[in-house]
Amino acid sequence: MKWLKLWKVRILLFLAVLGPGFITANVDNDAGGIYTYSLAGARFGYLLLWTIIPMTFALIVVQEMSARMGAVTGKGLSDLIREEFGLRITFFMMVALVLTNFFNVVAEFAGVATSLELFGLRPYYTVPVAALLVWLLVVKGNYKTVEKIFLVASFFYLAYIVAGILSHPKWDEALIRTVTPPTQSLFSDSAYLYLTVGIIGATIAPWMQFYLQSSIVEKGITERQYRAARIDVFVGSIFAPIVAAFIIVACAATLYVHGLHQINSAADAAQALRPLAGQYAFLLFAAGLFNASLFAASILPLSTAYTVCEGMGFESGVDKKFHEAPFFYWLYTILIVAGAGVTLWPGIPLLKVAVFSQVLNGVLLPFVLFFMLRLINKPELMGSYTNSRLDNVVAWSTAVVMILLSLALLWTL
Amino acid sequence: MPGLALSELLGVPVLDPAGAVGGRVREVAVAPQEDTARVACLIVRTATGDCMLGRDVLAAVGGGTVRAAALTADWPPFVGGEGLLLLERDLLDQQIIDVHGRKVVRVNDVDLYPELINQHVVLRIGEVDVGARGAVRRLLQGVVPLRALRALLARIPQRAIPWEFVDLIETDPARRVKLKISHDRLAKLHPADIADILEELAPAEREAVFETLDEETAADALEEIDPKLQVSIMESLDSDRAADIMEEMNPAAAADLLGDLSEETSEDILEEMQPAEREEVSELLEFKENTAAGRMTTDYLYFASSATVEDAIQALGSYEGAPETLSALYVVDHDEKLVGSVSLASLALAREETRLSALISQPIISCPGSAGEQEVVELFDKYNLLSLPVVDEQGRLAGVISADVVISLLRSKL
Repeated sequence: MKWLKLWKVRILLFLAVLGPGFITANVDNDAGGIYTYSLAGARFGYLLLWTIIPMTFALIVVQEMSARMGAVTGKGLSDLIREEFGLRITFFMMVALVLTNFFNVVAEFAGVATSLELFGLRPYYTVPVAALLVWLLVVKGNYKTVEKIFLVASFFYLAYIVAGILSHPKWDEALIRTVTPPTQSLFSDSAYLYLTVGIIGATIAPWMQFYLQSSIVEKGITERQYRAARIDVFVGSIFAPIVAAFIIVACAATLYVHGLHQINSAADAAQALRPLAGQYAFLLFAAGLFNASLFAASILPLSTAYTVCEGMGFESGVDKKFHEAPFFYWLYTILIVAGAGVTLWPGIPLLKVAVFSQVLNGVLLPFVLFFMLRLINKPELMGSYTNSRLDNVVAWSTAVVMILLSLALLWTL
Repeated sequence: MPGLALSELLGVPVLDPAGAVGGRVREVAVAPQEDTARVACLIVRTATGDCMLGRDVLAAVGGGTVRAAALTADWPPFVGGEGLLLLERDLLDQQIIDVHGRKVVRVNDVDLYPELINQHVVLRIGEVDVGARGAVRRLLQGVVPLRALRALLARIPQRAIPWEFVDLIETDPARRVKLKISHDRLAKLHPADIADILEELAPAEREAVFETLDEETAADALEEIDPKLQVSIMESLDSDRAADIMEEMNPAAAADLLGDLSEETSEDILEEMQPAEREEVSELLEFKENTAAGRMTTDYLYFASSATVEDAIQALGSYEGAPETLSALYVVDHDEKLVGSVSLASLALAREETRLSALISQPIISCPGSAGEQEVVELFDKYNLLSLPVVDEQGRLAGVISADVVISLLRSKL
């Protein structure tokens, strides 16, 4: 029985490490992410797999920067931007963030709508109920306990890894595509560019940086406990892109191979899980997508409201009453109500909007990175915890590449 | 002269007596050693570097320009801001403590009031703007025509904090002394309000403010702070100061806190404490936190059965513990066994020569140290208690649980 004990201890240790870093990375594989990765695999097969490795490095570096800034300064990212760059810059940053996050919220409710539609439930009922649930959960309920349920449920992503393996992909080709850089001619295709920006935006989303830094502060992690928090960030930052890679592979080996290059509905995307679940693929997909969407939908509007209020100096916090923090509650409520409302708009192409939200993330990312880099390299703020040269090279290159990709995307449109 | 905002002054051209532009306002500085509410000088960015424009050479301020009474060549160069509070850097966009409103707020702008004294302009700091008016002004300045902006601003209600209620937060202790930053007014607030403010700050700022509080205030505030933050604050202090604060705390709260600290830190602190307080706290540390003994305090008054009301009142006069544990006094026999409790109200109503044993409330309620939280709460509820004596196995009085502890306990489970 000794081995069992050891095994139990290991699992416990692993779970103990699961903290803000892992949660952030996991929420990141939300409805927008799943649809973007799926579409990438369906449309281009293995041709976008090259993004995974550089993206993983970028994600590790960027997430680690957020966590370090939170631990050392004890302040949120928007607080720091406000204190170091002033009100006007903060204001524009916040407007851009609210806009981008709004589309992300729409994507989450699109995820709710499309996943439950697979069970034959009409969005006209499911979306308002989900919106109300999310609103109540945060305002009236205890988010922390629910977070644990979501987190356990998010192991659904493992299904994609299994499905990817069972679908008998061309491993040699997938591997080669993962390590060879793309040819230049691919980038003249605006759809390819669009999805490249989308994949990166889905994996390294701007809101994650604000959310992770605040979570680190909230958890009371300081320089002293920082080492442990780092492991958590590493685990999360590696897990998320692996899941992304397997979603692409699973879709490439099923949808792409069978000539299904467009994903028009959740039912299409669910086909990727057929090798694992057979005719029940839609069940697995729907349950997973629903969980991911609801998880992200309960974090995103709240995180946005906190970020904006901190930066602009409004009262915030779910422990405050409505009249004490009116702006906070209004912003939070509007994001949910409007986000859910948009998904009910007759004839709106939900999946396209979901992918679009991730592209917006990608376009906003370099700006957030710019502020993060400026802040984290200030010795008066970070002391001896400023960036290493490698951190700077990776993060600056990510920012520059994203700017170039966004410009190229504009050019080819 | 009409008031003007700090943001309206920054970047404005500075004219010399001949009307030529000598530079632009870069900073507005206050020398707190001289006067905490008056601008000491403007720092002006010129072609040859930053210069200082003392208040005695300010001829006019407002209308989008500053006029200097001295020639550009006579403006002394700016040599470091030692001892100067720089309004743009230290105040604008930073967090301050609003002592009157009892919370932490972010500064959007600073309202200055120019006065003409002996031919030169003295700028006084009126209040800091923390509302939408200052924010809108700074957002739209230079984008919207001035007249339209003024009209718009006039329609936005002002939310400002008078300068005398502003407490600055400075993390560098040396600079704190130079800038005469103290938290005297903050220290006068209720400990629970101080605790709320401390909870809102980032760790470095929190520790900086906490450092300035005297031991008694620090101890009272610390008792009200979230236990997780208590630990991080205590770990940031040196053990000497931590021990001084612990001595001032209610022994029960001190024991709880020590139990949460790492063994090493808690031993260091115990070592530095006065023997009497150390013993008291160490005894409490032995008990499990979720039992009656773990929740009780050893701060209480007890008397022999033969004591009279007069004795009790005398003892009350020299009592130093927290008042919330005083809702009742306790009577013990020669073996220190609990005989009963006397409420403060019955004491106040009795004659001086009455014996305490005659005033004992019925029934006599107490609980063993090993009793669980549930049992304690049930006793409080059933008998409408304000305090509950805790006894050891021999029936000797060991400590007292007061109602505020039970309320905190219940609230943490809500």
